[in-house]
Amino acid sequence: MKTFVGLFVSSGIFGLVIAVAYFIVAHREATGTVLLGCMTAALAFAAGFALLAERDAHLDGDDEALESAAVAGEDLGVFTTATPLPIIVAFGVALGLLGLLYSPLLAVGSTVLLVWCLWRLGSQSARV
Amino acid sequence: MIDWLTATDHKRIGKLYIFATLTFFVIASVLALVIRAQLARPLNTLVGPEAYNQIFTLHGTAMIFFVIAPFGLGLANFLVPLQIGAPDMAFPRLNATSFWLFALGGIVMFCGLAAYGGAAANGWTSYAPLSEIVEGTGGGTDLWILGILLASISTILTAINLTTTIFLFRAPGMTMWRIPIFSWEIVATSVLILMAFPSLAAVLLLLLVDRHLGGHFFDAAAGGNPILYQHLFWFFGHPEVYVMILPYFGIITEIVATFSRKPVYGYVGLVIAAFAIAGLSIGVWAHHMFTTGAVNNPFFSAVSLLIAVPTGVKFVNWIGTMWKGSLELSTPMLFAIGFMLNFLIGGITGVILASPPLDYDLHDSYFVVHHFHYTLGGGSMFALFAALFFWFPKIYGVRLNERLGRWCFGLMYVGFNVTFLPMALMGIEGMPRRVYTYPDVGHLALLNGVASAGSVVLAAGVALFFVNILVSALARAPVPDNPWNGYSLEWVTASPPPEYNFVTLPAISSRRPAWDAMQPQGDVS
Repeated sequence: MKTFVGLFVSSGIFGLVIAVAYFIVAHREATGTVLLGCMTAALAFAAGFALLAERDAHLDGDDEALESAAVAGEDLGVFTTATPLPIIVAFGVALGLLGLLYSPLLAVGSTVLLVWCLWRLGSQSARV
Repeated sequence: MIDWLTATDHKRIGKLYIFATLTFFVIASVLALVIRAQLARPLNTLVGPEAYNQIFTLHGTAMIFFVIAPFGLGLANFLVPLQIGAPDMAFPRLNATSFWLFALGGIVMFCGLAAYGGAAANGWTSYAPLSEIVEGTGGGTDLWILGILLASISTILTAINLTTTIFLFRAPGMTMWRIPIFSWEIVATSVLILMAFPSLAAVLLLLLVDRHLGGHFFDAAAGGNPILYQHLFWFFGHPEVYVMILPYFGIITEIVATFSRKPVYGYVGLVIAAFAIAGLSIGVWAHHMFTTGAVNNPFFSAVSLLIAVPTGVKFVNWIGTMWKGSLELSTPMLFAIGFMLNFLIGGITGVILASPPLDYDLHDSYFVVHHFHYTLGGGSMFALFAALFFWFPKIYGVRLNERLGRWCFGLMYVGFNVTFLPMALMGIEGMPRRVYTYPDVGHLALLNGVASAGSVVLAAGVALFFVNILVSALARAPVPDNPWNGYSLEWVTASPPPEYNFVTLPAISSRRPAWDAMQPQGDVS
């Protein structure tokens, strides 16, 4: 996690520096400053999350000396091997967007389909 | 068939990405050949101006959004879990959703060809106010917007998945400073996507609001600002250039080190350079807007020029890796060297365009077409083929024919340079881009004729690649698990890899676990 934190903290600092530099050099141009500001805020959020919520996380991958045999039998969870839900979700999103332009009925139908898919995905995850 | 439609295994998703991107590549390449056929002679009438605008719009959009960028991420789908010793991606179902959103995005965009009024014809940038015109443009532009929106959502989800996988799913001993450079480049690419792509999604939604819900965000007559469109678009658009190149930098690094039989020279420097490029690319968006007069040219020029420094670092590292190495000029290595030579030209012309006084002269000319084709065609596309030749045995269990591969490289290298080198001169002679024809003045007829002839040679090289796949698949020669003596973890497992990737993981005590595993016990360095 140290690398994760270091990466996002340094990226956030870089974002702040470039946003301030742009604000000054570009004579307070609003669009670019807001865009860079949003980017800095997002990076700061990621860094803050890592620092506060995940500071005690221990990952096997971070241990230089650990061998895979030492963690043999460790439960890594269940990896889904096949499900039709992703392709249905994708069709739901595509048809929903098309429906917004061409057919409100299609948009409503797609929204219902998406809600059903998300509910199914949620219930599958809960079982895992 | 059902197995493929419902697959969530990262290797199958990776193969689906490769199949889909190569399909879109063939379509976009055919469109490019039509462009070159139209421009082969001055005042040609093979296609009219409306059709020409649709063709170059679809060609550019497909190559950028549905070929180069997604191929890198699709290859990452296949390789990253193998390179870090993970059984799958962190979110397999999200991964499958990302792929289908991407594929449907491409299909929706190309459906514009069947729409009333034809496909989108505003160029891949779809600048407002041109793209705000609804009357007479039919549904093509709307389908273009929706297609790109779907692709951008897909890309954001893929970036989340890849970042999470690399940070959290590494095998024991596979510390961040041991993962292969390709995986590091994917981290940098993913962070860049997460910063830049929301801007694209936002600008496309605003455009839809303007077109259909009475909005005026980019309508100057109603108080809107078309320059705002350019700001939002290029805040995504320039980082997108690096989304299309950083994974390919990683590919080249892996191939150069493997075929030089040496460790990567300057591993840490390569990682820092990747993040420096990613960071700086966020601050250069308005160098595409120098001539608007609405941006601070010195700031954007300075930051754009700075990007040449970390890019130069990468070249130093690749040359350092090859230096005094035991070079083996196999097909992937030939493509890697071709990438370096082409990308160098693209980089140097990029430095020229980063200078506002020169950009004012060359803006929207064929010089720009020359520049970006050398970075993305001669650069990314050559790296794409290098990757296909390099990892084909691992992905499909089939090694591509070496002799046909060398011919493929030769034809593509010669064809590419004959096609795109004359475009620099066309631009200097003042030929604007995005015009369906041109008068017979200066050397334009000769230069365009040469470029069109080159495109035929280039197409022959690409066609030979597909012939090679067919020939190699029919020959079905047995292929070892590590045919190139590769050093990273994916070469330890079977070709193609089994379900969950590894039967047993080797000890990971360095940046070259496969190389370590090949050494006699006690001789690991």
